[in-house]
Amino acid sequence: MSAKARYDAIVIGGGVNGLACATYLAKSGVRTLLLEQRAELGGCAAEDEIADGFRVPILAHATGPVRRDVVEELQLYAHGLTFSDPAIQVSTLSPDGRPLVIYEDPRETAESLRAWSSKDAEQWPAFQATLQRLGGLIGSLFVSTPPSVDAPSARDVFALMRTLSDFRAMPKDDQWRLLRWGPMAVADLVAEAIETEQLRATVAADGIFGAMLGPWSAGSGLQLLLAAANRALASPAGRAVRGGPVALARALEAAAVRFGVEIRTGAAVARVDAHEDRAVGVTLSTGEHFESRTVVSGVDPKRTFLSLCDADHLPPEFLWRMKHYRSRGTLAKVNLALSALPTFTGATRDMLGGRVRLAPDIDYLERAFDHAKYGRFSTAPWIEFTVPSLSDPSLAPAGAHVLSAYVQFAPYSLRDGAWDTSREALGDVALKTLAIYAPDLPSLIVARQTLTPEDLERGWGLTGGHIFHGELSLDQFFTMRPLLGFGRYHTPINGLFLCGSGSHPGTGLTGGSGVNAAREILRQRTF
Amino acid sequence: MPSGTSNYDAIVIGGGHNGLTCAAYLARAGRKVLVLERRHVLGGAAVTEEVFPGFKFSVCSYVVSLLRPEIIRDLDLPRHGMELLPLDGTLTPMPSGDYLWRVNDHYKTRREIARHSRLDAEAYDEYGKAMVEMGRFAKPILGMLPPDPTSLDPRGLLELLSVGKRFREMRFHDRLNQVQLLTMSAVDFLDQWFETDVLKATMSASGIIGTFLGVRSPGTAYVLLHHYMGEIDGAFRSWGLSRGGTGAVSNAIASAAREYGVEIRTETPVTRILTRNGKASGVVLDNGDEIHAKVVVSSVDPNLTFLKFMDEKELPSDFVEGVRRYKYRGSSGKVNLALDALPNFTCLPGAGPHLRGAISISPSVDYMERAYDEAKYGQFSRRPYIDMVIPSLTDPSVAPPGKHVMSCFVQYAPYHLKDAVWDNQQREAFGDAVINAIAEYAPNIKDIILHRQVLTPLDIERDFGLTEGNIFQGELTLEQLFFLRPVPGWAQYTTPIDHLYMCGSATHPGGGIMGAPGKNAAERILRTSR
Repeated sequence: MSAKARYDAIVIGGGVNGLACATYLAKSGVRTLLLEQRAELGGCAAEDEIADGFRVPILAHATGPVRRDVVEELQLYAHGLTFSDPAIQVSTLSPDGRPLVIYEDPRETAESLRAWSSKDAEQWPAFQATLQRLGGLIGSLFVSTPPSVDAPSARDVFALMRTLSDFRAMPKDDQWRLLRWGPMAVADLVAEAIETEQLRATVAADGIFGAMLGPWSAGSGLQLLLAAANRALASPAGRAVRGGPVALARALEAAAVRFGVEIRTGAAVARVDAHEDRAVGVTLSTGEHFESRTVVSGVDPKRTFLSLCDADHLPPEFLWRMKHYRSRGTLAKVNLALSALPTFTGATRDMLGGRVRLAPDIDYLERAFDHAKYGRFSTAPWIEFTVPSLSDPSLAPAGAHVLSAYVQFAPYSLRDGAWDTSREALGDVALKTLAIYAPDLPSLIVARQTLTPEDLERGWGLTGGHIFHGELSLDQFFTMRPLLGFGRYHTPINGLFLCGSGSHPGTGLTGGSGVNAAREILRQRTF
Repeated sequence: MPSGTSNYDAIVIGGGHNGLTCAAYLARAGRKVLVLERRHVLGGAAVTEEVFPGFKFSVCSYVVSLLRPEIIRDLDLPRHGMELLPLDGTLTPMPSGDYLWRVNDHYKTRREIARHSRLDAEAYDEYGKAMVEMGRFAKPILGMLPPDPTSLDPRGLLELLSVGKRFREMRFHDRLNQVQLLTMSAVDFLDQWFETDVLKATMSASGIIGTFLGVRSPGTAYVLLHHYMGEIDGAFRSWGLSRGGTGAVSNAIASAAREYGVEIRTETPVTRILTRNGKASGVVLDNGDEIHAKVVVSSVDPNLTFLKFMDEKELPSDFVEGVRRYKYRGSSGKVNLALDALPNFTCLPGAGPHLRGAISISPSVDYMERAYDEAKYGQFSRRPYIDMVIPSLTDPSVAPPGKHVMSCFVQYAPYHLKDAVWDNQQREAFGDAVINAIAEYAPNIKDIILHRQVLTPLDIERDFGLTEGNIFQGELTLEQLFFLRPVPGWAQYTTPIDHLYMCGSATHPGGGIMGAPGKNAAERILRTSR
């Protein structure tokens, strides 16, 4: 048996957060090894060829957006990351062909809203501004380690005081809104500010995206605020990454290499090795062993603790709670290769190049959710799609296009039948739904790829197929992500840390959790 | 009477249990108090009425347990005729013909649960202990004056910190539960302990009582706790019936209040709250009489208090907006039956102790959730959740010899129906749905009904002055609790109008025959007027 390789730190999982964490550590002079089970790095930020000459963002089709501090500290500009700032934030189509566009510029949005409701047109800018202010405050909590509940350090107290004074500095109405909106049902939240059903649904969708929540579920308001917080932290260079999520992955990879991260792809970690409750290294499925006193897991908490760790090293209560950590995925992905651009009634090329949501009203979203409650996928799902080939023609042959669609709800565990036999039925439902808005779409299909939550688990190791590594609910957020008392990237196993989306703030492809974790690890460990 | 002179220190609008409690505490402190009740009977929703000759019903609220022990002591309610009879256990019939029968005897219940799952029997102990801890943590908060987190008042901050401190002093385990109780759904919460579906279903039921949410909706775990804080003689989670119906509780409080010198007038509806230069100065009755007082305390909900009894121009616009936004969404109905004999349940035939407790139609989590789904889209549940009690078994005084009264609490019956209104036809259709649901488990029910009274949310609104028929004077959802109840910034029983206070279930800590809002409000009032 060959001599064991030794590292200062080993990061498990080469997704966006794993990459960000490893790169940050290496940049700080820590000899870091990054292990990725797949052939490519990037995790959910990946691209795949679904037919000859047709490449699609296989999972995520939009980034977090990427956090300002991540871009700067990891010098991602220097590694090929470029941004664009599309005028359109998100748009929605109605069966009757009337489009509704939410622009980044609230005044422009207000203009387009006049056709729907003058009241909404009037109120929109104020609503956007409020979301921005509240998002800003929550965002200020995203960039640092959550405070310790048991023994707040001076740093924690100081940070809390600052947040508290920021809170008090807000208009009183905002203070109350923040307290009310978080635990609220997003349907109620939007109803306070918006009267147009289609607009309500489009905005409310942020509150349930990827979650086991309907718009009438309490707590869906929080997710809307988290999305606002992400926007508030976006790099000033722009909210959208040119070339999509995969471009972010490539820039991160380049940075990782540049700062000397040792990268092993196709290396599936089978076990985190611990000795007397201290991490000592990892062992691959091949039996290959790497030593390190610092092991950082970018994979989700359930997988980390319930399959990579030996139960003997974890307190029973901790294990029990982990088993009940909620990560039941509800999002499916449908990717289409199209011989030409479908004619979506009422949609412009600009709209289709951005994110388009298909959800006519709140009840539609709620009904879609109802199916998931009983272990069935929605017969009329709500969809967010984009046609990335419009902004990047290289993704498809000349004149042809690719379409990437999030489809919700598709529960991880079906009550009757297995996903392997239901996958295509789900694809058909998604297609039927798209065809309502683009009747010619079915006739243009060259290839179709349907990914169920089960596929996300198998292919990307997302437990339950949950794209956020676990529900973003009040009881799994901030100091409680993934578990109260373990919100600071540390774990019951000394030297084992979390840096994935299952740790604070853990909201999509922002690189936030990864960089936060790296900072905390550098604070706690001496290398 | 000459207007301008204050004949009373305080006028309390509404003779419900909270209004009466508030009045009693004020008078106990030497204040001259007048209580004005619109109806001919006292008690508001905690009322006993002889709906049919010889049959006395706790028309709305039908079980007691949340009533704060300190109130029972302070007002010496037993001496004033209040007697609580323990309600032993809950029977949940199952479609399979089996049943789940939980009783107050912990070991019996454990054995019963073990019939369904040994693991759950183990977990039941753990769960019980955990919930008692939760109750211990929450109880002091019930008596607390909710601090205003947006104010710089150090007292409020300290109170918040003290809650935080007590939170940190709890064990890891209990802290987690506490957080989860505030945010999780009842089913998700129970899933952590139990595997038996019917057990989870029937336990989760108390998470939706009076709330327009499903057992799988986040936030319902809190209502679970709210009902778990039930306490009789210091024993947590024991529910009771009041001898003579829940009205007897109200009457006992009223009698205590009278003893302290409170003047109570029934059939005296208030139509307006008088204000003089921004201060409440009295009320106007429907006969036009004006009654003046130093302080006006309203135990009715914010909608009536501020939008009906006042001109909104007298109030700050953002406050009015807050009052408008406050959610009621009544979702429950009540069916009161006069019975010729006892219902005969196929799972446990014949009469027996199982009929002396509550009988819950909550056979499965999906059944509960489906009932909610129908209501969500504006229909009453075709197969509703029902909580039944037969008080005449424990308290024969409420029915003629050999006959019985059965009280059925039903969810869901949304106040707003989609393309329909609550007319007689809908009411009877709703009543039939309830009877049919019961008949699935007690087939003889249809043959033994002598009379039936069906209360829709609209009836509850009309008869008892509860807006949209919400039995808690407003939803017990997280964004309407503690310092957010009923209107952000106005959770301390005060209002934008000086000398006008709130003391109903719409204030912290909310609904149920608890009395805490009335008591807390009285203490708040005495603090300023002292």
